[in-house]
Amino acid sequence: MSDSMAIYIHVPFCRRKCKYCSFISFDSRTNDIPGYIDLLKKELELRSVDCNIDTVYFGGGTPSLLTAEQLNGILSVIGKKYRMADNAEITIEANPGTVDFKYLADIKTAGINRLSIGIQSFNDDELTMLGRIHTRKEAVNAIEDAREAGVDNLNIDLIYGLPGQSIDDWKENLLTAIGFNPGHLSLYALTLEPEESLFKEIESGKLPDISAGTAASQYELAEELLQKHGYVHYEISNWAQPGRECRHNLVYWQGSEYLGIGVAAHSYIGKRRSSNTEDLDKYINALSHNVLPPQDVDEIIIPELEIAESIILGLRLYSGISIKDFEKRFGIDIMKRFGRQIEELINFDLIENDKTVIRLTPRGRLLGNEVFWRFLPDKV
Amino acid sequence: MKQLKTRNFCIIAHIDHGKSTLADRLIELTGAMKSDKIIEQVMDSMELERERGITIKAKAIRLSYTAKDGVTYELNLIDTPGHVDFSYEVSRTLAACEGAILVIDATQGIQAQTISNVYFAMDHNLEIIPVINKIDLPSSEPERVLEEIESVLGYKSEDVLPISAKTGQGVPALLEAIVNKIPPPKGDLNKPLRALIFDSHYDSYMGVVAYISVNDGKIRKGDKLRLMGQGTELEVVSIGYFNPKFCPADELLAGDIGYIATGLKSVGECRVGDTITSLVDSATEPLIGYKTAKPVVYTGIYTTQPEDHGQLREAIEKLSLNDASFSYEPENSPVLGNGYRCGFLGLLHMDIIQERLEREFDLSLIVTVPGVKLIVTRTDDRQFMIVNPSDLPEPSEILKIEEPWVKISVITPSTFIGPIMDLITQSEGIYKHTEYIGHSHSPDALGQRVRLEYEIPLRSMLTTFYDQLKSRSKGYASLDHEVIGYRETKLIKLDILVNGVMVDAFSRVVPPDKAHDIGKSMVEKLKDVIPTQLFKVPLQASIGSRIVARTDIAARRKDVLAKCYGGDITRKRKLLEKQKEGKKKMRSIGKVEVPKDAFMSVLKMEQ
Repeated sequence: MSDSMAIYIHVPFCRRKCKYCSFISFDSRTNDIPGYIDLLKKELELRSVDCNIDTVYFGGGTPSLLTAEQLNGILSVIGKKYRMADNAEITIEANPGTVDFKYLADIKTAGINRLSIGIQSFNDDELTMLGRIHTRKEAVNAIEDAREAGVDNLNIDLIYGLPGQSIDDWKENLLTAIGFNPGHLSLYALTLEPEESLFKEIESGKLPDISAGTAASQYELAEELLQKHGYVHYEISNWAQPGRECRHNLVYWQGSEYLGIGVAAHSYIGKRRSSNTEDLDKYINALSHNVLPPQDVDEIIIPELEIAESIILGLRLYSGISIKDFEKRFGIDIMKRFGRQIEELINFDLIENDKTVIRLTPRGRLLGNEVFWRFLPDKV
Repeated sequence: MKQLKTRNFCIIAHIDHGKSTLADRLIELTGAMKSDKIIEQVMDSMELERERGITIKAKAIRLSYTAKDGVTYELNLIDTPGHVDFSYEVSRTLAACEGAILVIDATQGIQAQTISNVYFAMDHNLEIIPVINKIDLPSSEPERVLEEIESVLGYKSEDVLPISAKTGQGVPALLEAIVNKIPPPKGDLNKPLRALIFDSHYDSYMGVVAYISVNDGKIRKGDKLRLMGQGTELEVVSIGYFNPKFCPADELLAGDIGYIATGLKSVGECRVGDTITSLVDSATEPLIGYKTAKPVVYTGIYTTQPEDHGQLREAIEKLSLNDASFSYEPENSPVLGNGYRCGFLGLLHMDIIQERLEREFDLSLIVTVPGVKLIVTRTDDRQFMIVNPSDLPEPSEILKIEEPWVKISVITPSTFIGPIMDLITQSEGIYKHTEYIGHSHSPDALGQRVRLEYEIPLRSMLTTFYDQLKSRSKGYASLDHEVIGYRETKLIKLDILVNGVMVDAFSRVVPPDKAHDIGKSMVEKLKDVIPTQLFKVPLQASIGSRIVARTDIAARRKDVLAKCYGGDITRKRKLLEKQKEGKKKMRSIGKVEVPKDAFMSVLKMEQ
């Protein structure tokens, strides 16, 4: 185990479930929040190790349903049971429909120094279609309140590739976001799974199908516009002003260690990846008895898999994979081990190789999966 | 004399009219097995038969029944395959019996295969006992069905027994009718041995087990025998009957039905329909003319992954030990590699073999467009058979082509005559005959029930003919067919090119005036089923060098996992693993990943 680590804390509560959401979150159990906070603290204590915490990330669900006091309580447990780094990046995901100026000012005082606002769209029709609880006006207010409260490290999440969303609709969303000059932008293509209500609406013909072609054009537009406005496209779905890259997310892409706390949270420590149960009641029950929750995933990442994952994750970053660093880390010449795949992918114009670094081409960033699966080992 | 107290009979019925259930009830009522033991209806053994509701392999069971006259009879019930594909096997089973129970569903009445079954049974001079089954169902119409039986089949109402195989109602009376109406076997115990093989299967311990009906003479364990048709010589390793389990015995006498284990290695050496006699003191005349059931439908079978070809070879060899009626020849396809051109008795037989290969041998298969065997005469007058469309010579080298035709009989309520006639005409059918056979279901205004007779090229029935017949008649129409011979025809080869590469697995022979439409619908169908690729893929249909239809699959533009959920890299990796796994179910053709379903989809396509 290394001497520094990231902590992810999952808050599985929402006022209402969005129509495209497949994350673990419950919309009828907000009464459980206070008890859940106590159990998060207990889990933090049970898992405590002596190391530096560089980043903390409250994800959800809707973490902004937690009060500043509750957030402060959790952070102080981390401060006591771990060593919080002086310059730690502490992020919270916030839903614009749940925040106001006072709340944002309070959580800043509680120690939150990075805010990721789930705007998703500035268009009221699109927000309704997605089942968001907020309007364009509330979205704008949230950003302005955050600025006023002195949150200078700000991310805006947007979704593209919506049913019926034109390139121009998307352009307007993007330009509105850019107008607020956020340090960071995450742009996600809408992906739907069969159990989600938006999926069913499309299946039943109530909404037009999503178009991969339009989504691709929207993505290319974003690349062009954001570059023009000084953003660096540092990861497939993430853009940042220089120095504003999300340090917590980089932990995932770079294969560093992280500790996940809360329902369904994932950890990667000492070549072992595990995840807490997705069942809120089982989680509550275990920790109420001072026992760590059951694990849904628990796997040792053997070297073969670690190599594959490091390529798959590393290629997501614009910095790509340094041939030299790869050799240093695994003792393997990537060009020899994966020569056949690399050659094929270069022929498909999906990756490029400038002799020191392998990275996705612009086309490869749109067709990443075709690149990634080729690096998986045959049988694990 | 024992022979006088023996009754050999079978049950014949249109599919789903209740043949297996009746067999169960007869077994139960004669005490051969307690009803709670009949968990599976014992006459069907293969899992596949059960799922499809049909019986593929005939087997025989000996039942002991004490009739009202106080005499204990030995009843041999022989099960028959329920589908027209297996009509040769059915005819051999009938030849082993003196009587048949004709089962007709009280809710459906006479169906196409009911009639062909009756004619079949009459050809073999069987005593037929008609029964109306399922009279316990609220929707049953025994009076209407009785009228139909009287008018179409000519039986008197007092000779038709109403029963419910499910509840057992009427089945005791049926047992009495079996002993009273069906004559005992007529053979002579003192003549040289003659026994008919009506079924056989391969058993890894005993070799080929032949199911036989002994006409004259007797067989004992250790006897040296000869097959009169095939000339195979064999020694009886073990002998006995079923009750319903294997029951070893010392001998089988004239009039008996049972099995002999032969030690032979393949059912091909011991085919259904052949007559067994002794090696010495042989009989001079076989019981019936022996012929082999000939395949009529041909298709190429390949593995999705070329490296699995060895497993396919093993699987086909194993299956053929047990099924002498399908043929296989190795063939090589420029795009699919090594495979086999297999011949089947019909489409159902083809489906069954394919499913058994995939299920029992865990193979992923590509099956090409099914076709018929063509007789081609070249301009130099040489004649040869073609079962693979790729072997069709250039049009300039062809003097004439002949293809097999079938006589079909369709029974349908008259309401659907129009759409059904349209379908048959589009399928190149030639009208022969119409016959009104009775009233229709009383509550529905469907009109009279009609039997239509047509002749059509077998080729026209090989894709969606049956499905369309069913859908155009809301499920009411039933179909029977019989191969009637070869006729001259005009056919050309239609090819499909994927990304510029000719895919022989999609090639088929079609009438020239339909080539354009079929080509167009094939490329459109393939466009739907082949996923987008990393580049644009043209799909073309061609006749020779002439492109008759074209469409393109646009290049894939976006395929990337967007978000990583709180470090859930495992799930992300699993999705990619699935994507990688999916590639194994694809066949790479000219750099295009074609899913195996694509090959199936053009078979099932409507035209």
